[in-house]
Amino acid sequence: MRGEVPSVLKITDLVGYLPLVIFGLVLTYISLHAPNFLTLQSLELIVMQSLPVVLVCAGLAVVVMAGGDDVVSGGIDLSIPATAVLSAGITAQMLTSGMPLALCAVVALAACIVVGLSNAVLITKIGMTPLLTTLAMFVAVVGVNNVITVSRRINVDHSWIVALRAQEIAGIPAGILLVALIVAILFFAAHRTGWGLNLQAAGGSRDAAEISGIDANRLVAQSFVVAAFTGFLCGFFLLARGSGSSPGVQDNLMLEMVLATFLGAAFSPRRVVTLWGAVLGALLVAAISIGFKSIGVNVFWTGLIKGSLIVVVVAFSALAQRGR
Amino acid sequence: MTTRANTLRDVLLRFGFLIVFAAFFVLFAFWNPVFLQGGNLLNIVEGSAILMIMALGLTLIVATGGIDLSIGIALDFGAAFAVVAMSTYGLDWFSAACAGVIGGSLVGIFNAILVVGLRISPFLATLSTFFIGSSVQRIFTNGGGPISYRRMPTEFRNIAQGDILGVPTEAVIAAVLVVIYYLLLERSIWGRRIHAMGMQRPAAIVAGIRVNRILFGCFVFAAMTCAVGGLIAAANIRMFTPLSGFSYLLDAIAAVFIGAALHPRGRPNVLGTVAGVLFLGMVANGLNLMGLNFNTKDALQGIILVSALAFAVAQRRARGS
Repeated sequence: MRGEVPSVLKITDLVGYLPLVIFGLVLTYISLHAPNFLTLQSLELIVMQSLPVVLVCAGLAVVVMAGGDDVVSGGIDLSIPATAVLSAGITAQMLTSGMPLALCAVVALAACIVVGLSNAVLITKIGMTPLLTTLAMFVAVVGVNNVITVSRRINVDHSWIVALRAQEIAGIPAGILLVALIVAILFFAAHRTGWGLNLQAAGGSRDAAEISGIDANRLVAQSFVVAAFTGFLCGFFLLARGSGSSPGVQDNLMLEMVLATFLGAAFSPRRVVTLWGAVLGALLVAAISIGFKSIGVNVFWTGLIKGSLIVVVVAFSALAQRGR
Repeated sequence: MTTRANTLRDVLLRFGFLIVFAAFFVLFAFWNPVFLQGGNLLNIVEGSAILMIMALGLTLIVATGGIDLSIGIALDFGAAFAVVAMSTYGLDWFSAACAGVIGGSLVGIFNAILVVGLRISPFLATLSTFFIGSSVQRIFTNGGGPISYRRMPTEFRNIAQGDILGVPTEAVIAAVLVVIYYLLLERSIWGRRIHAMGMQRPAAIVAGIRVNRILFGCFVFAAMTCAVGGLIAAANIRMFTPLSGFSYLLDAIAAVFIGAALHPRGRPNVLGTVAGVLFLGMVANGLNLMGLNFNTKDALQGIILVSALAFAVAQRRARGS
């Protein structure tokens, strides 16, 4: 196998860009067939639709950075979408019984932090694998949320929540600005601070990080709390997007989160999960979903297209990595 | 004082999960005497048959060091191929059952091509298989409507509804598969090789184990096993319900990892999986008999799942140190 390396070497640089090229081609195809697709209005719609996914992807990216990007044994948090739904459920339920939004937010935040801390304790103190812990946590949190909301849809028309969707500041929707700000803060924390460097060191090579005196366990624990916090924030954007809380949102959110985050890794030069990659992935996934809908592709085919995209993108990035 | 604390700790470490198991058993029996009746215990076993079969398939994949999120798709394909073979092509029950298993194996072959051929990590590969398989079912059934076949041959219906010497056939099938899997994974040279590649893949390659060939075989065999679960599901309700396999995925993963946590070295193993499946089956049945509402029952089941997993892992950890 090693012997093949030299001959492949020149092609690999090109192969590395193929995922982006494929996405470019798909989007070009869509915009050729749906002339309205590339208008500012529909791009805004795409970004608005993707906001909840962007937030949970950013949270997942931080967890993967701290835990390493091996999906089974490294860092992963599948429970973020459940946390988001819990945050939305608690807020919606309390709002309908007439409590002020600030109080709802405090209670929802407390609940989400409890989820994050439970993940952190189970993983760093008891030593469970993140994949398993957060999957089980997903089931438990969704169950608790169904008890809180009695599995029904709750409409929310609080002015602040509506503002997340409808308010514009200088012509740009407030929701987009807010998410951009949150992502920027997370980016700053993860890439421009000492904490962020330690976080990446812990994920890159745990042993090396620990030898150089970094408390990897503590960073991993913190990353799960950060992820739960992004879930908490995401809850409000779910409320804004769906004009309330509806049961069952978490399943699709989880699939899109995993798809977008690991797709994002294919765009980074070192094939690792990054914050920007995850955000870009979330936007592209939303663009493709909406794009295919707008050229009239049957909804039944969406799963097939998404699945094939994962295969193509991940296979190419695996190929590029092997060549290195 | 210390000795007493130590012995208590030892007992907990050794039999911890067994004690939790027993505690729940006593709690449920105390709550509702119906729980203990022979008929209900048989219910638990019968109700766990499909989950048992799925969890066995998953045990095999997890033992190779991977994960399979598409076991539900294999179940759906098994059910779909069998039902269509009978209703559209008029095949006899045995050929239909074979068609179902072959249909399920297609899912395994697809996974194997992605994982072995394209070297995609099992998590992402089987996630795509899940997406693609779900979509294929939607397209095939025009949106997800069930395909029913009321005039199903009695022999096929008996897969789920008949019994052999008083034991429900599905429980017998599950038991036979447990024995086959036990012999294959824990008592044969192939099992040794599978565990070897799951624990130390580079070492296994150096030792001359044909890792790719084994991985390919495992994915196909696991998918065929899950397809058998599909046959039972189809025979039970005399129809194929698209996308119904997904509901077993989380429980199957939980059962496999509870089983792995019970193993001294934390390896997925057949007997552990059996214990995990029976535990989940017992909890589901017991909570049902408590007469809780659906939402509360679901939430409690989730919380018990997290706690049981935490307990099992903590027990193994403490034992190891």
